[in-house]
Amino acid sequence: MSYLVLRDIEKRFASREGGGQVAAVQNVHLEIERGELITLLGPSGCGKTTTLRMVAGFESPSRGELILAGELINQRPPNQREMAMVFQSYALFPHLSVFENVAYGLRLRSLPETQLRKRVLEVLELVGLEGLEQRPPQQLSGGQQQRVALARALVLEPKVLLMDEPLSNLDAKLREQMRTEIRRIQQNLGITTLYVTHDQAEAMTLADRIVIMNRGQIEQVDVPTQIYQRPASAFVADFIGQSNLLPARVIDREGEMWLIQTLDHIVRLPSGAVAQPPQLGETAQLLIRPEAIRLHPQGSLRGKIQRVTYLGSVVEYDLTLGAQQITVLDTDPLRPQIYALGAEVNLDFLPGCLYLLPA
Amino acid sequence: MAQQTAPPPVAPVSRQERWGRVVATLLRDPTLGLGLLGSVLFVVLFVATPLVQVIVQAFFDPQTGDPSLEYFRRYFHPVYRAHQWRVVWNTLVMGSCTALGGTVLGLIFALTLARCRIPGQKWLHYLSLLPTVSPPFAIAIAAILLFGRSGLVTRQLLGIQFGPGVNDIYGLDGIIFVQVITFFPVAYLILRALLERIDAAMEEAAMNMGASRRQILATVTLPLLIPGIAGSVLLLFVESLADLGNPLLLGGNATVLSSEIFLAVNGQYDQQRGAAFSLVLLVPTLVVFLLQRYWVSQRSYISITGKPSSGQILITEPWIRWPLLLVTGLGSLLILALYSSILVGSITRLWGIDYSLDWQHYQAAFNRGLNPILATTFLSSMATPLAVLMGILIAYLVIRKNFWGKQSLDFVSNLGAAVPGTILGIGYIIAFIQPPLPVVFGATVVLAGYATWSVLARRCWGALLLGSLLGSLLRWIGPSLSYELYVGGIGALLMLMGAVVGWRSHLWKGGLLAAVGFYLELAVVEPFVTEPIGLWGRTLGGDMAKLLTSLQAMIGVIFQLPLTLVGFVLLGVVALALRPEARLVGRLHLGLVAVTLGLAFGLIFAGDPLALVGTPYIVIAAYAVRSLPTSVRAGMAALQQIDPSIEEASINLGADTQTTFRKITVPLIVPALLAGAIFAFARHMTSLSAIIFLTTPRWPILTAWILSEVEQGGMSTAAAYSMILIAIVFGAILLMMAFVGRRMRQMGGGLDLMMGGG
Repeated sequence: MSYLVLRDIEKRFASREGGGQVAAVQNVHLEIERGELITLLGPSGCGKTTTLRMVAGFESPSRGELILAGELINQRPPNQREMAMVFQSYALFPHLSVFENVAYGLRLRSLPETQLRKRVLEVLELVGLEGLEQRPPQQLSGGQQQRVALARALVLEPKVLLMDEPLSNLDAKLREQMRTEIRRIQQNLGITTLYVTHDQAEAMTLADRIVIMNRGQIEQVDVPTQIYQRPASAFVADFIGQSNLLPARVIDREGEMWLIQTLDHIVRLPSGAVAQPPQLGETAQLLIRPEAIRLHPQGSLRGKIQRVTYLGSVVEYDLTLGAQQITVLDTDPLRPQIYALGAEVNLDFLPGCLYLLPA
Repeated sequence: MAQQTAPPPVAPVSRQERWGRVVATLLRDPTLGLGLLGSVLFVVLFVATPLVQVIVQAFFDPQTGDPSLEYFRRYFHPVYRAHQWRVVWNTLVMGSCTALGGTVLGLIFALTLARCRIPGQKWLHYLSLLPTVSPPFAIAIAAILLFGRSGLVTRQLLGIQFGPGVNDIYGLDGIIFVQVITFFPVAYLILRALLERIDAAMEEAAMNMGASRRQILATVTLPLLIPGIAGSVLLLFVESLADLGNPLLLGGNATVLSSEIFLAVNGQYDQQRGAAFSLVLLVPTLVVFLLQRYWVSQRSYISITGKPSSGQILITEPWIRWPLLLVTGLGSLLILALYSSILVGSITRLWGIDYSLDWQHYQAAFNRGLNPILATTFLSSMATPLAVLMGILIAYLVIRKNFWGKQSLDFVSNLGAAVPGTILGIGYIIAFIQPPLPVVFGATVVLAGYATWSVLARRCWGALLLGSLLGSLLRWIGPSLSYELYVGGIGALLMLMGAVVGWRSHLWKGGLLAAVGFYLELAVVEPFVTEPIGLWGRTLGGDMAKLLTSLQAMIGVIFQLPLTLVGFVLLGVVALALRPEARLVGRLHLGLVAVTLGLAFGLIFAGDPLALVGTPYIVIAAYAVRSLPTSVRAGMAALQQIDPSIEEASINLGADTQTTFRKITVPLIVPALLAGAIFAFARHMTSLSAIIFLTTPRWPILTAWILSEVEQGGMSTAAAYSMILIAIVFGAILLMMAFVGRRMRQMGGGLDLMMGGG
């Protein structure tokens, strides 16, 4: 059995508008292996933080089981779950020094003073805060406070590390730096981690597997490459990266190939390029990422440019193909020209980059 | 996950199941459970019971015990009707005039001090706060000194000869004048806080759109202040109705409800009459309280908890500025003159006749009044930690925990100070002259049930039965034993059991049990130690005798807590110290619980449980109840500033609720707690209306003492007492400020005191 299992977890709250209940989390089933870093990714209000808080024990599930290392922990109070959490607001104790903040959990476990000192200093060194032990936390920068929060959780060598949008209060540059650092430390210690974020770049760089949540339900659980290339639903395709979703219809099947009609063209897709086997005649959506569209004079489709945005490394075009709006990213550094507004251009979808999603 | 099979359908959580979960949480966490039970017990015993008793008493003849509507019928009786309605009318006129006048004056002060740049702003701020920390009738005394029949202004300066038909300071107009000065600071504080929190950008936006200063004031600033103004009018109305000191001193022939209640109970010894007037007074008070809680508070646009906004748009237009400054200046001069007259009055030989310097009034005050000065200070200090602890406990439960009845707990805890003190005072007399057995019994059942169920679960019935048997046995043999043997014996048994628990289980748990036992032993020993001190003191004579007898009595207060309360504490100790453990199970465990229960019952029902009238404890309880809302509010404000995830972080790192509260929550709110303690202490020292019914010759209260001094015409001695009282309150404020100030610098600031500003 996996190390941490969330079995059919559901959480309902009393509805604000009197009477009934609303489900904040529903049918969440997740199996996490030891040493894995899993990110819970989704728009705000999708239930990811509620899920994390149920694992931590701050909320109790209305239904379902939480199993840690083979043991049912639903009834175990949060202070006995041996999980450490890094809070979005860091939640550092303002009346204690950096050292005492980190030592807090160890003191509760009555560790001998010399051993306690050693472990606190070790973990402070691990997160790069040597020499700041005696500072009060308010005198540290945001990034340093973040490291204290991390050190305070790590020093306990928890069975599971829980992180609730830990980087959302940092500026963009620091965020990038911290996320590689968190990944490095997590890999070094081999610590099982559940990481909540709404930032897809963060999820992509950090995670072994990503859990995409929407409206309290899991949309997809997979490794980052699969999430991007083989999204399970239109929501995932739209939420991760940019996407063009074209209306399509399944018209025939030839052996391993599906014949799909879209934009008055017929394209052939191998069975690996469909999310789930469709019915003949069914309407569906065809996903093509903006960077998988090439603008060139020999292209078989013809569109008109509605908007041009120059971003340096790429040029982003909005085009109309008949009635259909699409976005194209020109990533070619040797691009012959930047097309002007209103220009008519030919384009092609790169073969092998099309993916069929249910409507 | 899409690929997963759907889970089997499960029935939704039933109401019963949710209840079960709440009870389970309380049982798992004894600190939370006991905190909740303790605070509920406190407000039920000392707020709800007395109020209910007053209401009931109004409808029963105390002599015969028969139902009677006598005093309500009088409102329609041809002989009494005129007087009865006159009292109600007077009360309403007084309340309305004070509320409006005080709010207008408060608004003017607030506008001046928040929006006009003038020199000495800070000093004006403190000056306007003086009435809030001085005894409730200090202004009345000053008014008599200045504007009375032989007043400095009226007689000396204006040369008015008072005779029949000449309007003097006594009467309804005098009360209103004094009340406006006494209560306007409340309006000032509310409105100033609001003014400072109005975002300057809003007024700038109006100006940017072309509004003039006058238009901004009329269309932006004042509308934003309206909820605050309404709230202040309501609050002042209630304060005015509740005031007892000023109507007694200045009423003359005009009586209002509060003074009628006092005269009925303390003059005519007619509790039913007092209770009936109380009920009439309770109605407008409760209406206003509910209006304020559920109507005004929902209509405020600006949250009081926010920080003051940085920029303030100053009023510079002369035609607004100068009238504001004029009124503020005159008002401040009046306050200054009034307080100076108290000071001067206290050191003047004979006011009105001989104005030469003389310290005799202080001599007299310390000579005759040493006992009330010491007793009041002592009881006020004893009540302070009680009020603050209860306040923070209730604030913590209300802000951080979810439980059924949370709103009611908050509501009732506020009620104790919202109702006029006179009502609470006679409620205390009615409720605690006899043992309030139903409440004591109910509390015992709930506490004992909770304690045993939380440590024994389903086996608790045996322990409860055994405990009750043992308790009854103790009650039965109790009267044949001497007090010393009874209490000492129970104490010895508890210490013995503490030793057993300490040996089999944790040391601290045994210690807890033994501590209760040790306290009982101290209670037995204490008189033998302190009585010689008193006796020796009496041989010394003079002030030393008074000091030492006071000391003896004070030590007694600490060590002679009512046994019923000790018994309640012991029931709490069961829940904390007798949880089952590997080495504390089976018959031994059951036996320990049963015996402790029995001893607790023996203590609770010893003598006359909680017949508190005449004891100092009822004064302490009344003080604490009167200042409880202040402490609850201070606690709430402090807790709201602490990010809940800080507490969650502590729990997540392995601490339980109790440890988190002790190591994280308390250190973070200590500054606010100390600030709350200052206000609680000041409120205790200066309170009169509830306490005047509970004071005894053994425990005289300074405010009541001053009142009787004035009634006997000793204006200068009363002024001296008032100065002493103000000095004690200020001393305490300075002492605590010094301490809080240091703590706050350690924390790096953050909390702003309620006194802040200026």
